[in-house]
Amino acid sequence: MAELLASGGTVEMARVVLDTGADAVYVGAKGWSRRRAQYEMSDDEVIASARYARSRGKILRVAFNTLPASGEIPLLLAKAAKFVREGVRDFILTDVGAMRALKDRFPETVIHASIGCTIVNAEDARFYKEAGATQVVTECRMDREEMRKIREEVGVGVEVLVHATTCYTYLGRCTMSSYTRQEWRFDDEGKNHFLGSPNRGGLCYRVCMTEWDQIGEDGSVEAGRVVLPNLAYFLVDDIPDLIDLGVTTIKIQGREYSVPLVGRMVRFYRDLIDSYLRDRSSFRMEPWKERMAEIVSARDSERRDKTAALISESGLPA
Amino acid sequence: MPPSGSPPPLELVLTVASPQELSGTDLSPYDAVCLGNTYCRRVEGNFAEELGLLPAAVAALHAAGKKAYVTSPAAPRGRDIPQVERLIDAAAASGADALEVHNMGVLRVLREKRIPLPAHMGAYANVYTHLAAQVMREYGAVRVRPNAEVSLDEMAVIARDAGVEVEVLAHGKIPLGITEKCFLLEGTEGADPMCPSACREEHWLTAGGPSAGAKPSGAGAWVLKNVGKGVVSGKDMCVIEHLPRLLSAGFRIFRVEGLYETSAYRSEIGAVYRESFFLASSGGRYAVRPKWAKTLKEHSRNGFCNGYYFGKSGQSYVGTVLQGDNSRV
Repeated sequence: MAELLASGGTVEMARVVLDTGADAVYVGAKGWSRRRAQYEMSDDEVIASARYARSRGKILRVAFNTLPASGEIPLLLAKAAKFVREGVRDFILTDVGAMRALKDRFPETVIHASIGCTIVNAEDARFYKEAGATQVVTECRMDREEMRKIREEVGVGVEVLVHATTCYTYLGRCTMSSYTRQEWRFDDEGKNHFLGSPNRGGLCYRVCMTEWDQIGEDGSVEAGRVVLPNLAYFLVDDIPDLIDLGVTTIKIQGREYSVPLVGRMVRFYRDLIDSYLRDRSSFRMEPWKERMAEIVSARDSERRDKTAALISESGLPA
Repeated sequence: MPPSGSPPPLELVLTVASPQELSGTDLSPYDAVCLGNTYCRRVEGNFAEELGLLPAAVAALHAAGKKAYVTSPAAPRGRDIPQVERLIDAAAASGADALEVHNMGVLRVLREKRIPLPAHMGAYANVYTHLAAQVMREYGAVRVRPNAEVSLDEMAVIARDAGVEVEVLAHGKIPLGITEKCFLLEGTEGADPMCPSACREEHWLTAGGPSAGAKPSGAGAWVLKNVGKGVVSGKDMCVIEHLPRLLSAGFRIFRVEGLYETSAYRSEIGAVYRESFFLASSGGRYAVRPKWAKTLKEHSRNGFCNGYYFGKSGQSYVGTVLQGDNSRV
């Protein structure tokens, strides 16, 4: 049965998603995941949340999915060692070198290849399997046949994002944000937070979502107030197919959203999945679409405000 | 970095997508050419797609005493992998010196073929650490170009500890992103009559400042260049002020990004860097010559940048000589 994985941007959010129906929660170690520190956890918070997850018979997965500097690898391994000692077993990584190093040091760990790996084909999945990953997050637009190949022929778990954004560029292969603004900021442990670089663990200023003018070679305006496509989506219709396909994990992104909203998302998907599994033959999608519409509206409102704030912070016109 | 003895020779590499881009380009400043366009398979004359063009192009480069590399798609879907296999076979058969690889699946396909075609990891391969480069080396990589975000100091660690050559972007637009869908088309690639001609023209994205809605230059403008299935910097990466530092750090392989530029750009930028390398390698006093600066500025519509190399925003410029009207320095 597909695991329902949800975001734990705070200790409170981690508890709420586990209490609301998620089978697993992912959290970011401060400075080491694809969100700013505000949505990450201190070591003590990670450890406490992991204990809570275990007490509920569930899993906490720690995201170390930045692309660090070479000199930061020892910091990563030391932090991982601390978590492993406290019973954490599951990690999410992007850098293939860090992945290999973690697996070599702690063979008992379970490693998932992050969305930042931009896995677009089954051969990508084979590569990360050989590096030690047992599950891969598939690129948001991957078709079902490629997912099937990864699941059945490559032999690793398939993780699908059912709430996320389809960035204008391939997620994990974009540096538009840090091109616009990047600051190096080191924490007390010596970890650089690379503010402005989502790939390196800072934040994305969502510069694609400002209003651009498209200018031709001669300086004429070809199109005004262009916003590069960056859509937040929920997969609803696809859930039965994904379950039938045998995907391993259904993931809800959302560390930066409010706890009540993330709780509603988790409750929705828990109920939807359970309803489909109870009686696949008579399952009807229409009522679920109506229920989802309310969540979409709340999500869009929160996202709009956050996007405007991020663009403004980047220095671009919001 | 080289442990001892004389340093290895410099290599100036140019990216060229097609015979059309090669046409009129003076290759004499360059030691190597990387053939093909990694963004889009449908680029007219794309060496990485029209494989029949490869033997003659590789032979011509070899005859001119230059290395010939061939690039591969940055984000191939599963349905594209058969073409990638054909590309690898064709590159090897034509005698290419290396395959530029951006995608880990492509790297793995290349490894599985067990053929003597080394891999050069490209700008979109997300090489950030020496450990990642080491893994890629196990798959046949002999050279890496770290991601644009990687600083010069970080690159030096990769060069020292990964056992592979490190290539540095010296000049040209910084690759910032690849996209699934062409931004310049309304319809699908196969059906839209604008494809593949739309990306032959220049398209800029500007925001803010007095230039928004007008020519993309001047104070206050934020500029990116849209190449259809990718986004590159609006400003030109430029390291000419810093060449002595780069050479003393041991870097020897430098790239000029020639995609979506004019023949004059490729020819004249290459000539400037060849001269500057000669001067920087001579051991004498190094300074950016006014004629170099003039040429670089003539070909730079939106100013220069090199901030990533120094741990700053990519679009910022660290230096003094070429600041000029670069308002965001």
